[in-house]
Amino acid sequence: MAEHNLEQIEKIREAVKQDLLGGRIDLLLGWEKGHYWWQSRPLFAQSEEDLEKLAWDSFCAVNLSRYLLEELKEHNKVGVLVKGCDARAFNRLLQDNMVPRDRVILYGLPCPGMLDYDRLAAEAGSVLLSITEENGQVVLITAEGEAKADRDEMLLDKCRGCIYPDPAVYDQMLLPPQGEKESPERFKKVEELEAMSAQERFAYWEKELSRCLRCYACRQACPYCSCRECFVEQENPRWQGRAYQPSENFMFHLIRAYHGAGRCIDCGECERSCPVGISLQELNRKLIKDINELYGDYEAGLDAELEPPLLTYRPDDPAAFSEK
Amino acid sequence: MSTAVNENAAGWEPLIVAFCCNWCSYAGGDMAGTSRMSYPANVKVIRVPCSSRMSPMFILRAFQRGADGVLVAGCHPGDCHYSTGNYHVRRRLSAFKRLVEFTGVEPDRFEVRWISSSEGDKFADEMADMTNKIKALGPNGKMRDARWQNIT
Amino acid sequence: MPRTGVFICHCGTNIAGTVDIDKAVEASRNFPGVVHADEYRYLCSEMGQDIIKKAIEEQDLDRVVVGTCSPRMHEATFRKAAAEAGLNPYLLEVANIREHCSWVHKDMGEATPKAISLLRAAAAKAALNTALEAPRLDVEKRALVIGGGIAGIQAALDIAEAGYEVDIVEREPSIGGRMAQLEKTFPTLDCSACILTPKMVEAAQHPNVNLLTYSEVEEVKGFVGQFDVKIKKKARYVDSVKCTGCGICWEKCPSKAPSEFEMGLAKRKSIYVPFAQAVPNVPVIDRDSCLYFRKGRCQICEKECPPQAIDYEQQDEIIERRYGAIIMATGFDQLDPTIYGEYGYGQHPDILTGLEFERLFNASGPTGGKIVRLSDGKPPKKVVFIQCVGSRDKARGMNYCSKICCMYTAKQAVLLKEKVPDAKSYVFYIDVRTAGKGYEEFQRRAAEEYDVAYLRGQVGKIFPEEDHLVVRGVDSLSGRLIEINADMVVLAAASIARCDAPEVGRLVGINSDSYNFFNEAHPKLKPVETHTAGVFIAGACQSPKDIPDTVSQASAAAVKAIGLLSKDKLQGEACTAEVNQAECSGCLYCEAVCPYSAISPVEIEERYHGGTLKRTVAEVNPALCKGCGSCTVACRSGTINLKGFSNEQILAEVDAICLQR
Repeated sequence: MAEHNLEQIEKIREAVKQDLLGGRIDLLLGWEKGHYWWQSRPLFAQSEEDLEKLAWDSFCAVNLSRYLLEELKEHNKVGVLVKGCDARAFNRLLQDNMVPRDRVILYGLPCPGMLDYDRLAAEAGSVLLSITEENGQVVLITAEGEAKADRDEMLLDKCRGCIYPDPAVYDQMLLPPQGEKESPERFKKVEELEAMSAQERFAYWEKELSRCLRCYACRQACPYCSCRECFVEQENPRWQGRAYQPSENFMFHLIRAYHGAGRCIDCGECERSCPVGISLQELNRKLIKDINELYGDYEAGLDAELEPPLLTYRPDDPAAFSEK
Repeated sequence: MSTAVNENAAGWEPLIVAFCCNWCSYAGGDMAGTSRMSYPANVKVIRVPCSSRMSPMFILRAFQRGADGVLVAGCHPGDCHYSTGNYHVRRRLSAFKRLVEFTGVEPDRFEVRWISSSEGDKFADEMADMTNKIKALGPNGKMRDARWQNIT
Repeated sequence: MPRTGVFICHCGTNIAGTVDIDKAVEASRNFPGVVHADEYRYLCSEMGQDIIKKAIEEQDLDRVVVGTCSPRMHEATFRKAAAEAGLNPYLLEVANIREHCSWVHKDMGEATPKAISLLRAAAAKAALNTALEAPRLDVEKRALVIGGGIAGIQAALDIAEAGYEVDIVEREPSIGGRMAQLEKTFPTLDCSACILTPKMVEAAQHPNVNLLTYSEVEEVKGFVGQFDVKIKKKARYVDSVKCTGCGICWEKCPSKAPSEFEMGLAKRKSIYVPFAQAVPNVPVIDRDSCLYFRKGRCQICEKECPPQAIDYEQQDEIIERRYGAIIMATGFDQLDPTIYGEYGYGQHPDILTGLEFERLFNASGPTGGKIVRLSDGKPPKKVVFIQCVGSRDKARGMNYCSKICCMYTAKQAVLLKEKVPDAKSYVFYIDVRTAGKGYEEFQRRAAEEYDVAYLRGQVGKIFPEEDHLVVRGVDSLSGRLIEINADMVVLAAASIARCDAPEVGRLVGINSDSYNFFNEAHPKLKPVETHTAGVFIAGACQSPKDIPDTVSQASAAAVKAIGLLSKDKLQGEACTAEVNQAECSGCLYCEAVCPYSAISPVEIEERYHGGTLKRTVAEVNPALCKGCGSCTVACRSGTINLKGFSNEQILAEVDAICLQR
């Protein structure tokens, strides 16, 4: 890892250490390295020792805000490191009355975009040993030598469409913000699908969704899925059949996406956590795109005070059906 | 297509489930009856208090159970008995309709209409129109649960 | 398993003509839970109802399905019959096999299976029906009227006469409202004060009316029958009990401020009653201009007051009271015409609004009743009236017609001629609208007998030149340009909603239209009701209106309030939403979409790892819920459900209907 990165980690550690040891927070949610060098997983730091494990690199994709739901039950005051999407996720939870604002300290981090190990490995060709980064490039180090790749090309799907890498909400910004990004790619896949015939689209989704294991990892990772009892698990009424059936897969994914209509903060954690790689984010982005087109631009998670578009209306709203 | 639809093409009749709000559209259906208008018996109405009671899950459930078309009908905007219900419906079901279409369901299979209690003629026309469109599309196998058997 | 009975009506041949009744009865016997099926020629008749009642008793039925006409027709009839047989009425379901089946399908081969399908769905739903009780609510036998203009006064008097207590809250120091500012009323030209003052006095003296002037509503909680209201009684700095209204204080008071009542055209003292006939005749001290409050010296009023009623230490007082019904009668404002730069309002003392001009006629007004130019005190010889200033103007003003301007302009032109016989009036108008009893006749008289020139067209510019005002306009009938050297210009400024109407509406939970006028529950059939049960509206707070319309609406609102207060208990809605609080995550999206403010957050305690956690969940007030079910869809987890149209019931209907093509 590059030198500047170590500096950044030190800066972050110093900032949160004061608060954790000084009792301003009881727990810090951050990242630590996982089993492999290309994994960064959540860190639950309660001591100076724990903080030694703190990591901040190009693999800190896990959205930490959702962990607040559980941690706030145990701890009075929790600090969280937030990237752009973690902060929007926090606003999602805040607006849904899931977290009390005064019991959370948000430490803002500008996000450079997180790297996709599968892409790196494929690009490397042979066994990838490690990477370094410099000037918008990733240096892939393999047993055979070094190769360079454009960093933007190596990003996770969820980061390729990101427009807001800086946290929209924070108590303290730990590193200098980097400003909004343009993302021509955000709705590209949605538009491609829209251009298909109904038959083709159905074939696409039937194939995608047929892989669904119904493990509900997408739901567990999602900041808009905060119900105490999800509809899929309810016995009475039984909304969702348990059988492994294409129609049940459609029911689950359509309703889950609809539950995020006007609420999805586009963090892409659903898709990233899907073990079979279903392109779930396209369902969410379809809704974001349509609702913005029909009812005006709205970015969920940017401002917790702005009412989600499906909770409000204008008498002269347009409709996606004939009103004659 | 993974779900087998084994309706006999010649004798096939579509099933259309129409969810109607109690105050306008259901009453519009009553008006169609009182005026002895006629529309295809393929349409069966379920009464809901307000179109804003319409959960997208009811719509998908109908498709799962074999409906070939689903219609939601409510009061015209501004006329909602509960004042704002259909304004919410307009947003909710516009988003949902586009999502359903995005996953490959033909647009005609799911519709939303505003029908007032005096529009018996419109009620009958919409039901006939929907039936004709669904007949042209043929049976719906998408999202259909193959285990669900119909009695004919 | 339920014990359901199915009863199918022939309705003569209305149903039996297209639906094979025997087949339907046979099929019904096979529905899950059905233990009894029967038919009758006219199920809604006494005999028919007896068949149902007998079967409930003999067959021990706990659910009933009737296959009949629309539930909108006879659901109540059959539910009553079921109740008479000891069954909770909500355990009965109607399958509409007439309007939705036999009358719209001609072929028995089509109609019969459809009827069976509808019956099956009704039976499936009925199996999940639960016994429901409509809540019975207490009624506080007292009404609150917000606003003490003619609408509020009339409504309060009607309620008081019916024998109920009523409080009027008025934010000004006196009741009377806009009508008190008027000189005469069209089309009869009776003096406004002469007909209003007796009503004001009557309100003050009526044993059932309690006036709370110089007061404002701070908070409204509760619901129909039991509104808990906080009212702020602002400090008058005058003891109302001691004060005799002698007037010495305001005679002697040395400081002045522009008079609100005179639209700023005259001054009043710092201790003042807004106008001579004020009710109550108790002054208030305006802190902003009072020398004592500003500089700590003066105290002349205190020294001069014979009964020693002045009390500088008086504090605002909060009154908390419960009311059964609320009438909103908060009135209207006049649009400020300065946005129309071409009319020059505010830049010349002889360009007035209609209401300002009205004050010139009044004997106690700024000119002592003389019609003179405010610039030089000379009587005007040529007066131009401009209609629709801000009304019927999509681009810059309000889209609507303010309704009263055509008539008050005709009235003012007539009064002008009577006061200044050689004056000539010109009226620029878009259309003259005179719908109302005696209105057209009056306007014609103004035009024909009082020499008022009506010019159809618009004024493009007004500017002062020498000692007059040049009014340039177009006569759109002839296409001619018109230029009038006027002595005075009167602008019929649009009647608009009070600027704080939306906030006041929010206090009582009613909403406003895009112009901020309060919304009625139904534009035709519920013109004085609102979507909040127990809150009614009267007068110009709903839309611009003249005095007779206002008074009619006030009486109508009063009748609605009286009807409510006359009940011992109110019957609520049985099919209301309910929250499973153990599963509610407390996001309160339901609260956001509820049109009736029936949902509110509540804190509950829950066990967690041996300790307790406090968390917020939603709670439905069944007294306010009307059962639309919008909340049930905003709730992603289905934690809020609608009784009578529950998720389980609707899914069961879908399943049952889809069972058969």
